Amino acid sequence: MELDFSIVARFQNALALGLWTTIQLTLICIVLGCALGFLIGLARTSRSAVVRAVSSVYVEFFRGTPVLIQLFWIFFCLPLILGVELPNFASGIIALTLYMGAITSETFRASLKSVGREQLDACIALGLPRRVQVTSVILPQAVLRAIPTLLSNCVSLFKESALVSAVGIADLMFIGQNISNNTARPVEVLTIVALIYFIIAFPLARAVSLVERRILAKLAI
Amino acid sequence: MTMSFSPPLVKVESLHKSYGPNIQVLKGLDIEMKPGERVVVIGPSGGGKSTLLRVIMGLEKIDSGSITFGGKPYISSAGRDKKTIIDTEVRRSIGMVFQHYTLFPHLSVLQNLILAPCKVRGEKKEIAIKRAQALLERFGLAAKANSYPAQLSGGQKQRVAIARALMLDPKLMLFDEVTSALDPELVAEVEQVILQLAAQNMPMMIVTHDMWFARNIASRVIFCAGGAVVEDGPPEQVLGSPKEERTRDFIDRVFHIRQ
Repeated sequence: MELDFSIVARFQNALALGLWTTIQLTLICIVLGCALGFLIGLARTSRSAVVRAVSSVYVEFFRGTPVLIQLFWIFFCLPLILGVELPNFASGIIALTLYMGAITSETFRASLKSVGREQLDACIALGLPRRVQVTSVILPQAVLRAIPTLLSNCVSLFKESALVSAVGIADLMFIGQNISNNTARPVEVLTIVALIYFIIAFPLARAVSLVERRILAKLAI
Repeated sequence: MTMSFSPPLVKVESLHKSYGPNIQVLKGLDIEMKPGERVVVIGPSGGGKSTLLRVIMGLEKIDSGSITFGGKPYISSAGRDKKTIIDTEVRRSIGMVFQHYTLFPHLSVLQNLILAPCKVRGEKKEIAIKRAQALLERFGLAAKANSYPAQLSGGQKQRVAIARALMLDPKLMLFDEVTSALDPELVAEVEQVILQLAAQNMPMMIVTHDMWFARNIASRVIFCAGGAVVEDGPPEQVLGSPKEERTRDFIDRVFHIRQ
């Protein structure tokens, strides 16, 4: 069998549309997931044992189960619990946001912990009130230190978002699979789709190490 | 001879402090520091010197005892659960410089200096910046105002840390082994700054292993070992001809090591 990549060019508009869906989905889940992760990261350092326990169960559950099952679970079970039919896209966003929240909460938790006891000593010696300690010293350093890992989390999410095709969301993967089924040219189509993912993910991954070096140099850690 | 009725600047009474159930660091320590004194605390590691400074800064819980500052109650332990009570208003009149600089790495030198004055005292930013620039000028750091801590040498960082503490006009400065982490050639520039402050009669309590520095800056030396004061007197006595056996041993060993 001869490989014919030109066949893919016929579907470039459909693929572009799929890519746009993937990008939208990823960006929305990055924003919502990071916000959720930040709150959960704080909750896991809470003084209340109940808050700590609830947030830990959530994080461990979403880190310890396959994303695909989480997607199906949200897709099938949430309508049963809520009694409303959710659009595919919405349940995809909910599932990936919950997943991203669990992953990034660990990133935030580690970076919060990395702001050492000595920084707190300095805050107290300067008489900074608790609120200023948190907003001017601890959080800015924690967020700066979290950025490189957060960017890696985002690159992973971009790739893992391909799983939403399984619940019928017309993302890049879903369109690619459809074209490949209809043309019976899986090698050509899926290779091109993989290349599209790679062209976006690779520079981002490189950017991560660049940002990492910059931040590490600035904070000298 | 004139009699002074002004209260002691710091009065530490039977201070007990332990880390966990088994490690007793301070075992009933008493110190009285008069206004204008420069007290250098020397002694073996683990003898409680740094812990004493950290307690006076209000960074540590205590088991029992009390500290007054300028005649006012400052730190005490009370109640059945021996809760440590710290008057944070009093704490604001004390400044501290640490061994490892503890500058805020995400803020520039200038921002490090003005953070507390602006956030704690509500000082206007322009005024704080003016004062900060004057201090940096005085410490030979004017060119570094916009640098980040990571871009400075250890000696520069420590001078910035001193300037940062001075921005709050402390009535007492605590220096906890501030030259121990420095390369030998950078020690002098930091000690010069502290000597400069001494010349202006800034009351200070200093923990140091540098006996040359101790002799030059102290108006009084306290030898602290095993969590209590062993010997307390003028530098010529404690460093030159100590009365106590344990002080003599320590001084001999320190000078031996330095040869």
